[in-house]
Amino acid sequence: MRGVHGRHAHGGARAGRGRVTALVAVTGLLLLIVSGVAIARGQVVTEVGGAEVARLSSPPPAGSPPPAGSPPPAGSPPQSPVPVADGRTLPSDQTRPPATLRIPAIGLSAQVDPVGVDADSGEFDVPPSIDRVGWYRYGPGLEASAGSVVIAGHVDSAAQGRGAFFRLPELSPGDRIELSDAGGGVHGFEVVGRTVYDKSEIPLERYFARDGAPRLTLITCGGEFDAQVGSYRDNVVVTAIPAS
Amino acid sequence: MRSWYRRAPLAGAAVAALGAGAALTAAGSASAQGEQEVSEVSVVHGIPGQPVDVYVDGDAVLEGFAPGEIAGPLELPAGAYDIAVTEPGGDPDTGAILNIAGAEVPGDANLSLVAHLDEDGQPTLAPFVNEPAALAAGEAKLTVRHTAAAPAVDVRAGGEPAFTDLTNPNENTATVAAGTLEADVVLAGTDTVALGPAVLDLAEGTSTIVYAVGSADEQTLELVVQTIEGMHSPPEGVPSGTGGLAATGVASWWYGLATLSVLMLVGGALWSRSAAEQASQ
Repeated sequence: MRGVHGRHAHGGARAGRGRVTALVAVTGLLLLIVSGVAIARGQVVTEVGGAEVARLSSPPPAGSPPPAGSPPPAGSPPQSPVPVADGRTLPSDQTRPPATLRIPAIGLSAQVDPVGVDADSGEFDVPPSIDRVGWYRYGPGLEASAGSVVIAGHVDSAAQGRGAFFRLPELSPGDRIELSDAGGGVHGFEVVGRTVYDKSEIPLERYFARDGAPRLTLITCGGEFDAQVGSYRDNVVVTAIPAS
Repeated sequence: MRSWYRRAPLAGAAVAALGAGAALTAAGSASAQGEQEVSEVSVVHGIPGQPVDVYVDGDAVLEGFAPGEIAGPLELPAGAYDIAVTEPGGDPDTGAILNIAGAEVPGDANLSLVAHLDEDGQPTLAPFVNEPAALAAGEAKLTVRHTAAAPAVDVRAGGEPAFTDLTNPNENTATVAAGTLEADVVLAGTDTVALGPAVLDLAEGTSTIVYAVGSADEQTLELVVQTIEGMHSPPEGVPSGTGGLAATGVASWWYGLATLSVLMLVGGALWSRSAAEQASQ
């Protein structure tokens, strides 16, 4: 009796344990699917054209002829002619701001605001309105024959959702970018590179340079998001060169 | 016997030396910096009414250099130079209006050589040292140099005194937010405007050097402005997202969860099968 009873009880426990373990397995499967989807959706923005971007900001290689006005050897007389300017003409701002930015490949058309740096943080003062982008007014503008014209925009914001540069990481070499000035004149550019940096490692001197080849630099955020701080880990940078 | 780049203690000596046509020879630390180091030397003409030629070591580097003009920068390797200023077509050896023999140019400096009037109205040639050190993003540097035959002055920015009691041949400097500034020059301690007002565009990352030149008595006071570029720094960073909608990569706990889920799946399946096998015995 006892044996029969015991076997019954034992069998019921086994069946119950079987249900529990099956439940564990199914839960594990569901969690695996959920976490797998989350990880798959977080694929990293890839880089392209890094060498070209570096070349644009690099000084001419050693061995190239020295630029005009370079120092003569010690002891030789200074060379004429020396540039002369009228010091009585007070300097005035010759920078020509871009007014609108258009990137057909990602369906973007945005107003461009001239911005500087945040007085407290010293950081780029990206326009708070996420459908606008900010042009760094201290650097070169559309008049530039050298250096990097910098435009930064929000990828998104907690309050306003997707920003003007949400799809910036989709840009690839060859994509066309257009900047218009206040008079409607269009300046065309062609994407040559896309790079991603940890914000602590981005070579900002290169991207905010006022010398080197004339180029357009578009910057936004990307990479891992720290929800506690409300901040992305990376900057995504797209570089373009003038194109007709 | 000092190098002319250490201008502040030298100003009086330089004026005296130039007046006598004596040598302003230098020695010591400056020349020890090496022959290959190059300094940038700009030349500023602040003497009204007299175009000149400028000679360096007997070679004309500037001809017909007019009042109010700024030339250069000349790139001069460290060393000693004979500098002479003549009337147009004049002889630098015998007809110099101003000269410095053996002026020592140190290596790796940025200098402005200013032909101007001293406080008593006598022409003189004086070096000023420019210090183009890097500025923070958004900043500009403003320097005012009193190089006019005029008494002490105050410089006002937006109506407020910025630099006070500035005398010839001294300077004052400040780092300010980039942008435009309305400035004027008043007699020290008064509201009597001697010069200006002028609207100055202080470009970001740039040093703007304003020379007050000319003569108060002759009513030829004016401003001459030199700018030195390339002192800019990039912003501290580019913060451009707060939403997390574009996050790539995922927080590391997702990977932990994935690992746990695999363990649950495999472990649960094995355990479940062993339970089923035992049940079927």
